[in-house]
Amino acid sequence: MFLIKIISRTLFIFLFFISTANAADSLQIENAWSPEAPPVAKVMAGYMKINNLSNKDIKILSAKSDLFKRVEIHLTEMSGGMMRMIKQENLKIKAKGHIELKPGGLHMMLMGKLKPVKAGSVIAVTLTLDNGKTINIKLKVKVDDAPQMMHHHHH
Amino acid sequence: MASDKKKSVKNYILPVIIGVISLAVGLWLSQQILMNTNDTRIPKNLDATVLPNARPLIGFSLIDENKQTFSPTQLKGQWSFLFFGFTNCPDVCPTTLKVMQSVWKTLPTKMGDTGHPKLYFISVDPDRDKPETLKHYVQYFNPEFKAATGDLNELDKLTNQIGILYGYDEKEDGNDQEYIVNHSAQLILVDPKGRMRAVISPPHVAKTIAANFQTIRLFYGDK
Repeated sequence: MFLIKIISRTLFIFLFFISTANAADSLQIENAWSPEAPPVAKVMAGYMKINNLSNKDIKILSAKSDLFKRVEIHLTEMSGGMMRMIKQENLKIKAKGHIELKPGGLHMMLMGKLKPVKAGSVIAVTLTLDNGKTINIKLKVKVDDAPQMMHHHHH
Repeated sequence: MASDKKKSVKNYILPVIIGVISLAVGLWLSQQILMNTNDTRIPKNLDATVLPNARPLIGFSLIDENKQTFSPTQLKGQWSFLFFGFTNCPDVCPTTLKVMQSVWKTLPTKMGDTGHPKLYFISVDPDRDKPETLKHYVQYFNPEFKAATGDLNELDKLTNQIGILYGYDEKEDGNDQEYIVNHSAQLILVDPKGRMRAVISPPHVAKTIAANFQTIRLFYGDK
């Protein structure tokens, strides 16, 4: 009886650690949003802040959404006098670090809109991470009345 | 000895006189040319590149959002902003058009007033952007906004004069819907004579653009 108690308690503590480890093993998304686009536009953008709470670097390997044919992560970069969109094969968020996706910089590119998307609605996106996990995020679609382009500081 | 010296001085007199006269005539002529054809003063304290010599934009024929001709004629009579992009652009184009929407809200003029500008969103992606699409796209941002596109030949006639660059990524057969267009993101300000007058570089900020436009407009006038 005593042994069972010990085992169950150990098991409980063990499970507890696994679950907390899990929570700290993932990414935390802040302020995920998408500017409402003209209804005729086939593409939209997603912006957000991504925090990595864990002690390990995490890479986002891919993204998908039921409302779009394809979701990619791109970097808008000024090069040779042109704004180039450079596809990011993956997006690494360093341990305890964060990354911001903002207008004029890194952004989620939602391509091939399948259904109308209006301000007030939500775009569900699933991210697949290199640790085998997936996370679901919700981009709030809103009208941006004070747009600001990011300055291109390279840190 | 003395006569030799006299002779050598005499030999120099004519060339020196000719030299002085031609220099004077040259100076006078260059000043006349500058005064008559170019006023190269530019307004101060701007966050925009003003061309001291405005550059006429000539010899292109595009189609606007109403399927009407967009040529140098349409650029005459008012100030115009030109922005080059494409509607499948997720980040830079809608953000810039949003910024211009804010600029339009702060303009002291209304459509039809002297000094009220036009905005042309010029698509460098004519394969996907038809006039109808462009019309819906720009009017979402402001019903006044206009658009144009055309054959690549005609587009190049305009972009080459301005120095706008564009190119396609991943555009190949069978991938006609989801390729990417890289493009210059400058705003071009064209004066009421249809001449390129200023270049505004990104990142675009509504307040700065609005202030710069008013300064340039007042400096050069609305004619």
